[in-house]
Amino acid sequence: MRLLALAVRALKETYRDPLALGFLLGFPLIFMLIFGAIFSGDELPSFAVGVVDQDNTMMSQAFASQALPAVPVLEITTYDDTDTALKDLKFGELNAFIVIPPGFGQQVSSNWQGAKADILLNMTYDESDVMVSEQLIAIINEVTRAFARVEVPVTVNALPIHVENQIGYIDFIGPGIITFGLLILIPTAARTIVRDKEKGFLSRLLTTPTRPVDFILGYSLSNVAITIAQIIIFIFGAWAMGMDIIGNLGLAFLIFFLTGLCSVGIGMVIASLSRSENQAEPLAWLFSMPLAMLSGCWFSIEMMPSYIRTIAFAFPYAHTIEAARGVLIRGVGLEAVGADFLFLVGWAVAIFAIGIILFRRSMRS
Amino acid sequence: MTSPKAERAGTDTDNDFAVQTLNLSRKFGDLTAVDGIDLGIKKGELFALLGTNGAGKTTTINMLCCLLKPTSGTACIMGYDVLKQPYRVKEIIGVSPQETVISERLNSRENLELIGRTHGIEAAELKTRSQELLKTMGLEARAKDQVHKFSGGMKRRLNIMMALVHNPRVVFLDEPTLGLDPQARRAIWEYIIRLKKEKTILLTTHYMDEADFLADRIGIMDEGKIVALGTGRELKNSLLEKQTMVIQAPDLNPQAVEKIRTKYAEVEVTGDNMVISDEQLSFQEIVDLLHDAGVVIRSAYFKEPTLEDVFLQITGKELRE
Repeated sequence: MRLLALAVRALKETYRDPLALGFLLGFPLIFMLIFGAIFSGDELPSFAVGVVDQDNTMMSQAFASQALPAVPVLEITTYDDTDTALKDLKFGELNAFIVIPPGFGQQVSSNWQGAKADILLNMTYDESDVMVSEQLIAIINEVTRAFARVEVPVTVNALPIHVENQIGYIDFIGPGIITFGLLILIPTAARTIVRDKEKGFLSRLLTTPTRPVDFILGYSLSNVAITIAQIIIFIFGAWAMGMDIIGNLGLAFLIFFLTGLCSVGIGMVIASLSRSENQAEPLAWLFSMPLAMLSGCWFSIEMMPSYIRTIAFAFPYAHTIEAARGVLIRGVGLEAVGADFLFLVGWAVAIFAIGIILFRRSMRS
Repeated sequence: MTSPKAERAGTDTDNDFAVQTLNLSRKFGDLTAVDGIDLGIKKGELFALLGTNGAGKTTTINMLCCLLKPTSGTACIMGYDVLKQPYRVKEIIGVSPQETVISERLNSRENLELIGRTHGIEAAELKTRSQELLKTMGLEARAKDQVHKFSGGMKRRLNIMMALVHNPRVVFLDEPTLGLDPQARRAIWEYIIRLKKEKTILLTTHYMDEADFLADRIGIMDEGKIVALGTGRELKNSLLEKQTMVIQAPDLNPQAVEKIRTKYAEVEVTGDNMVISDEQLSFQEIVDLLHDAGVVIRSAYFKEPTLEDVFLQITGKELRE
């Protein structure tokens, strides 16, 4: 089959070029190592925190409705029960939720009256976002001490969702770096096509009975094979570096695969709009590097201003990272990441359709 | 020499012609790259399009192999219309582009097999054909090497082989020896000569000797038009209306030159050389005139016209390598 011959040829061109292969596979792994070693977050712009008031005293109500919302970086939502709060936490709606245990109000009052008090709060948080969770514990501790007017630290019983796991930075950054690897498929996909166009290979093949659809499928197939290889290698690499995989690996693979298709589609669009590698390369990087930053590959997206988050969520990659973290680290299923999944499907279909139309048009010219 | 119009393509059913063009034109904005070409290339013929860079040779080939749509007019390859039946045309042609276009990370066999597969040739047959071609072109020993390790001449040979692997009926060779050293050129010429009669070949070149040595017929192209058409001999004979004599003499004096000028139309003196041209030259008269003027002649001969002379006379331009 023509398209298979073309796909195999494109694959050989990539894997026999050590520099291109090293770039494709090694670059994200280097990022994984560097960022894992040096990064430490110290800014706290916005955290979604749920509150379940089991004490139900005037004191606990004042703490939940006045003291906590007064902290600028917290977005407080009150819950009637812990189950609903836990579900929202798993679905990524919350960064953490606090349970105010019975007796909280009495202990605070005792402290105000000068008696010895044992002030307790239970906090369950999403430990996959390790930067956020550490800072949240500190913030809750501080606001509680201020409210209760105590000098000694308040006991915040931290209840991470996966207490059996030693969550490290790699757990947080793993899905992000895998997504980054798929983002750099954009320049790779664009380069393969534009190089053939610029060097006349596409023209040469156009003098054979090869049809436009053979070209499109041939290029896509080789890039899909690269995508699959990338995903397997990156997931294995992240796992080897210590990333815990809790959820359904098949679902995570599917999420990454859809993301890879989006990148191949974007690459095809860029290649169709460019006449040479010199045009395509900067255009592809101009697109993929800012997207990597905005989408939360290396930084928690929670730390970004809301308008940046709006831009980020208009593209597939922020959805990928959120869904992949949910599946791989929090262990949620399709019911929790369904919206992100559908968004990725829609994006992949749309960008491929645009890519095919533009590529056909560029071949005609 | 016959006029281009006299060689006008016949109808689609005219079986003698492998390539026929009818008022074939292509414009790029205001620039007319090919201007109403009427051409018929017979089956089994090796036809050379000779012209300077920018004369319109590659644009013509690109239209004939369905890479470029004509602005007006059309062309048929083996009776198939390039506009209406492009995929039928592509099935029977082989194209060796001007630039060496090969997949650098594939080896030579893989490059050949890629083109073969795009033509739907079975694997076993393809293997045999590739093997034969590699042997004939002297690349058998390097069949498994990735081609980025090849010399320019080897790449060029592979470039041509890729146009032949599917056994096409019509072959387009666009400047097949461009930029090669004499030895590599000669090797490619020998192979092209072997292909003659088996295939119809349209070759473009700006090397006079290449066209003269290889082609059955030559079309001289200038500013998008075919300005002369015929065999090499016919084209050269067209200049025989005028004779040229070259005299070498160390002591040419102004009186001697003046005497010759009174008798003949064109006299050019450069150093010790004098070139005399006119419709009719008398060898004896010229020698006597010079002798009387005290000139000692070292050598004197009639000059045969070359293709370059033909080209210069017709286009007013010189072909430069």
